[in-house]
Amino acid sequence: MTEEYVVRCVLMLCCVLLSANASNWLYLAKLSSVGSIRDEETCERLRGLIQRQVQICKRSVEVMDAVRRGAQLAIDECQFQFRNRRWNCSTLESMPVFGKVVTQGTREAAFVYAISAASVAFAVTRACSSGELEKCGCDHNVHGTSPEGFQWSGCSDNIAYGVAFSQSFVDVRERSKGQSSSRALMNLHNNEAGRKAILSHMHVECKCHGVSGSCEVKTCWKAMPPFRKVGNIIKEKFDGATEVEQRKIGTTKVLVPRNSQFKPHTDEDLVYLDPSPDFCDYDPRTPGMLGTVGRQCNRTSKAIDGCELMCCGRGFQTQEVEVVDRCSCKFHWCCYVKCKQCHKTVEMHNCR
Amino acid sequence: MRRRCAPHVLPAPASGCSGIKLSATRSCDSWFFFFFPPPFEVESQEQSGGGGGGPTARVVSAGGCSLFSSTLSRSFVARRDFSLQPFPFAMAGAIIENMSTKKLVIVGVILLLFQAFAFMVGGLIAPSPTTAVHYLATKCVDTVKQRQETKWFMPWGPNQCDKIRTFDEAMAKKIEANNIVFAVHIPLPNKEMSSWFQFMLVILQFDIAFRMHNQIKDGALVTIDVSLAYRDDTISKWTEMAHSFEQRKLSCNFTTTKTSENEGRHYECDLLPFMEVGSVAHKYYLLNIRLPINERKNINVGIGEIKDIRLVSIHQNGGFTKVWFAMKTFLTPSILIIMIWYWRRITLMSRPPVLLEKVILALGISMTFINIPVEWFSIGFNWTWMLLFGDIRQGIFYSMLLSFWIIFCGEHLMGTRLFAAWSLERGQVKMCESGLPTITELVTELGSHLTNNLQDQTERNRLSVYWKQVGPIVFGSFCLFIFDMCERGVQLKNPFYSIWASEVGTELAMAFIIVAGICACLYFLFLCFMVFQVFRNISGKRTSLPAMSKARRLHYEGLIFRFKFLMLVTLTCAAMTVIFFIISQVNGGHWHWGEHTVQVNSAFFTGIYGMWNLYVFAIMFLYAPSHKRYGDEQSSGQCITGDAGANSGEDNQLTTTITHVDGPTEIYKMIGKEAQE
Repeated sequence: MTEEYVVRCVLMLCCVLLSANASNWLYLAKLSSVGSIRDEETCERLRGLIQRQVQICKRSVEVMDAVRRGAQLAIDECQFQFRNRRWNCSTLESMPVFGKVVTQGTREAAFVYAISAASVAFAVTRACSSGELEKCGCDHNVHGTSPEGFQWSGCSDNIAYGVAFSQSFVDVRERSKGQSSSRALMNLHNNEAGRKAILSHMHVECKCHGVSGSCEVKTCWKAMPPFRKVGNIIKEKFDGATEVEQRKIGTTKVLVPRNSQFKPHTDEDLVYLDPSPDFCDYDPRTPGMLGTVGRQCNRTSKAIDGCELMCCGRGFQTQEVEVVDRCSCKFHWCCYVKCKQCHKTVEMHNCR
Repeated sequence: MRRRCAPHVLPAPASGCSGIKLSATRSCDSWFFFFFPPPFEVESQEQSGGGGGGPTARVVSAGGCSLFSSTLSRSFVARRDFSLQPFPFAMAGAIIENMSTKKLVIVGVILLLFQAFAFMVGGLIAPSPTTAVHYLATKCVDTVKQRQETKWFMPWGPNQCDKIRTFDEAMAKKIEANNIVFAVHIPLPNKEMSSWFQFMLVILQFDIAFRMHNQIKDGALVTIDVSLAYRDDTISKWTEMAHSFEQRKLSCNFTTTKTSENEGRHYECDLLPFMEVGSVAHKYYLLNIRLPINERKNINVGIGEIKDIRLVSIHQNGGFTKVWFAMKTFLTPSILIIMIWYWRRITLMSRPPVLLEKVILALGISMTFINIPVEWFSIGFNWTWMLLFGDIRQGIFYSMLLSFWIIFCGEHLMGTRLFAAWSLERGQVKMCESGLPTITELVTELGSHLTNNLQDQTERNRLSVYWKQVGPIVFGSFCLFIFDMCERGVQLKNPFYSIWASEVGTELAMAFIIVAGICACLYFLFLCFMVFQVFRNISGKRTSLPAMSKARRLHYEGLIFRFKFLMLVTLTCAAMTVIFFIISQVNGGHWHWGEHTVQVNSAFFTGIYGMWNLYVFAIMFLYAPSHKRYGDEQSSGQCITGDAGANSGEDNQLTTTITHVDGPTEIYKMIGKEAQE
């Protein structure tokens, strides 16, 4: 039994080391069986983490629940943003969560890296605000010189901690490999772009509380955008992503746009190295490449969700389906919906 | 008898007026006092005809009066003392006039140093004034149906509640909305609140997701069942502090189109004022919030799909409080001492104090009232009314300051008008030949004007004359006081109360604020009108300038220049103040300057506060009666010694040196005698 275990471990290790997919930690989202990550031993058992990430896990166990929620958030948001595309961010139950789709340096990979780095920063920040973490804010860059810290000058924003954690946890893989490979550069860039999507869209809110509530005294703070908005921003960046190649300038290697006509990308833009496949057909050699057969499409649309594009010219079949829909519902703000059932027939188009 | 000038009838250079005009410039007024009367000298060297090096005429007329005879010097130097007396009549012989330029410069520099110190204390030592802390409410499940004692739900730590992450989870577990309790523990783990935080206010924000079929209805009200508890150590039981049902209006808008594509996006909702406590006497606070649903009463129906409740708590930073207290503790005795000193000087005079002197004292008192660091008690005692008390103190000071400006301005304005009328009427300006113990008809004439003036003075030396101007101030601040009582006064009883939450309350609050605003507008109209009148006087004089004798023209030009200069300085100060205010509002709150972090907001608060104190200090110091004025009458003999001849040739030599000028008291006596005779 132990032999088998060792073999499996070695296999897994090989698998981890060989694949260039640094987003394996997203597999955390699938580990519902583990329950809450409470002690250091659990860290060892988590699949998908590289050794350095396990160390981080051990060092800050309390954050790992938030990281897992972040992974889940990233996958959900990816699936929402790509719901109408040929590749709809479908996940597998096995180890590379997105199969091999994101192993190449495609746009989709860029998106996945960006959204996952952002989601960790987001989830950790939220966990800070809800009091789950003890290390937030006050540990890092307290802007008062006094040792009294919180009492003297308060703590810094939680987002600083969230972003710092995301940097250390998500980027660690690329960093450990060194900055040499172009793929590592691309991943690091996209991770940072994802975090920037939060940071540069924090909105400032202010409250006046001077004499009689006048603005003589005003306190402002930065509030995190909802994650849906972050997803939308990164999706926009995905649509305008820049194809880059690695070039050596001096001793450092940098990514520059492949087409020199294009203006150079900014810190907030996504970059990719390889053009994406068309995602039209199922490819058994590429896990996660499910193809568009059977996907629902929009007959009237000319965009990517339209049947023309979605079905890659294979055509589609239409069938009339009777759908039981909810109608004239009564909602409460939470947890209660009372609806009538309405039956209606709709035309459904599915790709051949 | 000597010939005397009548200092009090001369136009004030309106040092007050122009300083006052700009309400936003409060801060600059103290600067203004550094600049304006003292250190500035008008030197107009005039070379006429052939004779180059004529004797320099040094006109030092502290009384503010210089009636020039038509004789004139070739070169004419007006020292700063030449400036016309800012206080007509009453304040003649104030320290500001009798002090040498050097001393005044020293005083100015010392005050400026203190000012810079005040800024630096805030910018370099103190942290930012306030801190905002984010909280995300934890969703607890209240499983027990009916219980006797209230249970408190802890979001984390030992004895934490049964949590759910999302409401989808609740849906699956069939948990009802009424069983969900949002729990927030203030502060975050491993921290403690402290009474140094002075106050705490909490803002509520709902994260509401858009759903096609579950949208927020127009004018939706959310009813919140909230309770607040405290404890002072981590193990003891929670003690209830307040419990209330509150209603808040949800004003949310959805920025994108309301299509099913955009489901799941969040509404953008306004911040809701939630709680305000005037003292932070306990270490730990716990908020339990429920959003009960009652369909029959239409409570909490149609408020959309709430995803989360976020709170932001704002408190003053302990470090800032300490710096602030230190400043207050230091400033209180300084202002108190100068105030006592000032009033002693007033009472030492033979005449009763005039209105302006009383107003200055009142200003000093209100400043001391603000300064007294009663907040020290809030460290030891749980005085929730401290916030309200602070508001009242500030309000009193502001209205006192505004009244002071208007009265100061008014007194000067009348002086200006009188002077203008008088001097024009005379058609000729005569040099005061003091030191000559002869009575001329000039003095007789002068005397009659002075007696008129005296009558006028007694008439306007009453507060009731200013009812038109002071009325709006009093009424406006009274409105704001009522408003403040309605908001912060009620919050003493119920920390969750907000006047803005109800329709009637909002209208009432708006009414108070609008009335106060109208009063403020009225006030500034009056003030502007007064300044306008001063300017009109100036332009009136200007038209008659060419017809005047050279000396007189120079005198007027100097006067006008001084007033304009003052306006310029004041406006510059105002602009600086406004800019600084804007910087502190717009800027993120701190600047990095090398390795140092400069807290702009704190610097603004301490700097402005220090400035006010220095302003009041400077007024009381500089406008206290000079001791040269009372007491030794004999020594204050000479007014102007000069060889001002009777010749009326414009280019004749004039050497006028005023060795000393005493206050008007003597003049009145003279006039009195004159009248008797």
